[in-house]
Amino acid sequence: MDHSFLFTKKILLVDDEPELLELVSVILKEEGFENIITASSVSEGIDAAKTEKPDLAVLDVMLPDGDGFFLMQQIRDFSDVPVIFLTARDEAADKLAGLGLGADDYIAKPFLPEELLLRVHAVLRRCYKTDAPVVKLACCLIDFERAEVNRAGETIPLTAMEYTLLETLARSAGKIVTLDTLCEVLWGDNPFGYENSLNAHIRRIREKIESDPSKPVSLITIKGLGYKLNTRK
Amino acid sequence: MKSFSRYISKYFVSFSILIIGLVFFNLLAFIWTFHLIVLNDYGSSSPQNMIADVNAASRPDGITDEMADKLRSCSIWAMFLDGTGRCLWSVELPTDIPIDYSVQDVAAFTKGYLCDYPVFIRCREDGLLVLGYPKGSYFKITGNYYPMNTVKIIPIFSCAMLVIDLTTLFLAYYFSRKKIICFTEPIISAIASLSEGKPVSLSISGDLSEVADSVNRASRILSRQNQARANWISGVSHDIRTPLSMIMGYSGRIAGDTAANDRIRTQAETIKHQSMKIKDLVQDLNLVSQLEYDMQPVHKEPVRLSKLLRSYTAELLSTEISENYPVEIHIPPSAETVTLDCDARLISRAIGNLVQNSIRHNPEGCSIVLGLNCEADTICLSISDNGVGMSAEKMRELKERPHYMESTDDRLDLRHGLGLILVRQIVDAHRGTMQIESEEQKGYKVSLIFSKSE
Repeated sequence: MDHSFLFTKKILLVDDEPELLELVSVILKEEGFENIITASSVSEGIDAAKTEKPDLAVLDVMLPDGDGFFLMQQIRDFSDVPVIFLTARDEAADKLAGLGLGADDYIAKPFLPEELLLRVHAVLRRCYKTDAPVVKLACCLIDFERAEVNRAGETIPLTAMEYTLLETLARSAGKIVTLDTLCEVLWGDNPFGYENSLNAHIRRIREKIESDPSKPVSLITIKGLGYKLNTRK
Repeated sequence: MKSFSRYISKYFVSFSILIIGLVFFNLLAFIWTFHLIVLNDYGSSSPQNMIADVNAASRPDGITDEMADKLRSCSIWAMFLDGTGRCLWSVELPTDIPIDYSVQDVAAFTKGYLCDYPVFIRCREDGLLVLGYPKGSYFKITGNYYPMNTVKIIPIFSCAMLVIDLTTLFLAYYFSRKKIICFTEPIISAIASLSEGKPVSLSISGDLSEVADSVNRASRILSRQNQARANWISGVSHDIRTPLSMIMGYSGRIAGDTAANDRIRTQAETIKHQSMKIKDLVQDLNLVSQLEYDMQPVHKEPVRLSKLLRSYTAELLSTEISENYPVEIHIPPSAETVTLDCDARLISRAIGNLVQNSIRHNPEGCSIVLGLNCEADTICLSISDNGVGMSAEKMRELKERPHYMESTDDRLDLRHGLGLILVRQIVDAHRGTMQIESEEQKGYKVSLIFSKSE
């Protein structure tokens, strides 16, 4: 999928540490995000959210005039902008409270630049899906809108099961998706007893998307764990 | 608790022995005191002997001089009455004693006193011999008679009284013991939990309320100190996070900056790597202290361990692990559906720490196997590697040498590193056990064993 349009999204950063604001802005700007606005308190955050209408808010939990959870509730009164929390506390309760409020993700401090970018991208991708859901693989294209595979001018339709499987894998492209997740998506149950059915579906998908189904390069088996879909840009 | 009731019983036994000893002592003292009097009584001047002697020495017309002298020397007077109550003769008769007696007079004095003189008599065919001892020298019991029935039930009465007394004593012991235990039991169990470092709250009214107050106070002090320590650690770890974010962020950027030269990038990589170590340490330290002082609630719910193990491994493979550490996962079909009532986040953390341990101790790389096995009533999660392992000596050290978190010594050779401590605490919080097996150059295996019912 082409995600370059995501770089035009406006991101609001709220943190009371100017140096941390600077660091996060630099990381995001270097990655290619152009519209970054910053605020250092709850009141400034609310104002910025109202006037600038950001597409993503990254909020610190601890702010001088309140906490990030309160800020998020205030923002929710007028906007459904996705929210990622930056938290310096690693207690489970904090995280659950953050996500229970409808936060989209959280990042525990300290974090590496890669981790921040990974989560920002993931949230943006999830919240602003492209209008043309086409995934490019080594030897074909998957068109999710039409539920079909385009391969060397040929069009092969996908069954409902195959579509669900591929969509789940494509959403975490490049990452391992466990057997548990796949079986829950397909049958709403744990994988015990479904291995053969799952294998059969995977085999049929490979026949449609791999140039040599016995030596797969796009849909890879990770032994004992699950599968991984390798996509191309 | 057992020891306390034994303690009370022991006191009861010694108390009973004391009572028996006292009764025995009283009996001895009684015998010792009165045997003298009884023996004295049987001396030559005792009424019994004297009246026999005087009787033998008396005739209606007089008494031998020898006997009269003996009576005088003992300050005893004597008189002889004939059948009509007239005094035939007398020895040392006091002036206030009459010499003529009616039948009524005789009947009145024979049993006891004559003008306050204790008198003893002997009936003879020819008259009545009367001996009078000095006033106050003898106490005579005059009217002691009881119905025969009363006398007959005396042995039964005594036995019954003895039984009633003993039963009363025993009941008094039994109930007071029960009451004491009822009052002290909460205090003792509270002290027992205090000794394990757990907070307690006692509410007891009555005599022991002061003790309960003291225990509560001690508990409050203990939990305040624990709370302060946990808060301190969590505060420090919180304050370290933001500066550490900055260090990790910038060193990460420099390490990935293609414009910088190789030497600087390598150094930045080192800073980043070491910062990650501090990050792990800070996280472990906080969690260890939270678990140690029960500040961290363990959210247990049924978790399918095969799923947990796979999602942990998938995340591990997707993010951080280098290719020198191939990870495999072994879950037999029998263990596929097994669930454990546990805090999934904590169990993942324990597995993560053990995997990181394997990676840290094998810088050259090693393959790591995560296994899940299910026995009749236990679940075994194992993390093993085929790396350098551990010598028998190191292994002994690991088991015997105390960790600095759990020692109050100043020793310099205490064990360091929080990884294993955290794993053990997590396992303890789930009532499981941890086993470490290792041999030099033959890998390292840690098994976490939980019982199925838990």
